[in-house]
Amino acid sequence: MEAPVPSAPPTFENLMLPHLDAAYNLARWLLRDPHDAEDAVQEACLRAYRAIHRFRGGDGRPWLLTIVRNVCYSHLRKNRREPEPAPFDDDTHGSTHDPAEANAVAWREIQSERLRQGLDRLPDEFREIIVLHELEGLSYREIASVVEIPVGTVMSRLARARRKLQAELIALSAKETPHGV
Amino acid sequence: MECNESRQLIEAAIDGELDLLRHIELESHLSGCPECARISEALRARKAALRESLPRFTSPPQLAGKVMAALHADGAPMPASIPKLGPRPMKWPIWIGVGIAASIAFILAAGYQWGNARARSDLLSEEAVSDHIRSLQFNHLSDVTSTDQHTVKPWFAGKIDFSPPVIDLAAAGFPLTGGRLEHLAGRPAAALIFHRRQHAINLFIWPIARNAVSSRRSELAGYHTQSWTQGGFNFLAVSEISAAELSQFSTAFQAANPG
Repeated sequence: MEAPVPSAPPTFENLMLPHLDAAYNLARWLLRDPHDAEDAVQEACLRAYRAIHRFRGGDGRPWLLTIVRNVCYSHLRKNRREPEPAPFDDDTHGSTHDPAEANAVAWREIQSERLRQGLDRLPDEFREIIVLHELEGLSYREIASVVEIPVGTVMSRLARARRKLQAELIALSAKETPHGV
Repeated sequence: MECNESRQLIEAAIDGELDLLRHIELESHLSGCPECARISEALRARKAALRESLPRFTSPPQLAGKVMAALHADGAPMPASIPKLGPRPMKWPIWIGVGIAASIAFILAAGYQWGNARARSDLLSEEAVSDHIRSLQFNHLSDVTSTDQHTVKPWFAGKIDFSPPVIDLAAAGFPLTGGRLEHLAGRPAAALIFHRRQHAINLFIWPIARNAVSSRRSELAGYHTQSWTQGGFNFLAVSEISAAELSQFSTAFQAANPG
């Protein structure tokens, strides 16, 4: 008799461990510290393991990233010395820059280190959305589920985040050449 | 399409998030509007720069191990790499009785017999736990995957020289999920796989022949084992579920097994 192709039920290990780099990258960008990021990923995996019965199948990555993100934000809240920042409001963080300003940055020559500095200066909500979309390649819909905002907000926040990053890059190069060119 | 609308859609289009119809409309606008086309080109270059030059941090090599250790401490199975558990040193060396008075030798021999039986049964538990961990690690729980006992039972026919009792315990909360061939105690054994929530239970079954297992429970590296005999077979169950639940499993199986 022909045996059916073996297919073991998915274990936590093969559902979640492939996304460890994504989890670490998000935590590292949000917390800005390698040790805190490691701790956060460990904590998130533990929480994910305990809540695995709530996982409804599909791609484990957005699910794990949602938990990583929550762990990071509670860490940030706990360790922030200054008073809690006002709830993030997409409108007040808007930018009136015309997208045409994208031309003001020589994107093809931009250095990796410069980009890192620029992204590091963005508010958490802008930083995370760029990390999720550009580095982790999550779709608008997946980001909506991780960040718990509507898809339309993902689209506008991402656009603003990129513009803001652009403004930071311009500010950084202005600092470098204070006398202008 | 007006420039106003076009500029709102360019980014979504570059992100691959625009539906086909609007994508076509946008393309046709861009082909006739140098200003929007220029913006689109700049945004495209920006996205490429972000994708290519933003550093992505990769997790340090030790992190996976730490995570597995943390999960394991929390009661999870599958530590990333558990070495196959080796045999323990014998507790009662044979040479101890040599050259000693007969009466003492008799006492020692009795002690040795007891110790040997105990060591044998420890070894068996270790071997079974080790098989259990391997089956989880290499994602090789089942050779035959089925929740139907009438599929699993005939699968063993011709593969081993006995016909193990195959019973689905879904009604008792332990659904049968498959079967596998194993080698245990130096001979082929049937492994039935059951599940309790997300945890796997391996039930090893082999004929008693000369060595009957004793009924006992043990705990090893966070795994519980329970052994018993029934109807000419040895049974040894291994799982990371609690000892109480494993005992419940054993009771359910024995009740459902006509022997």
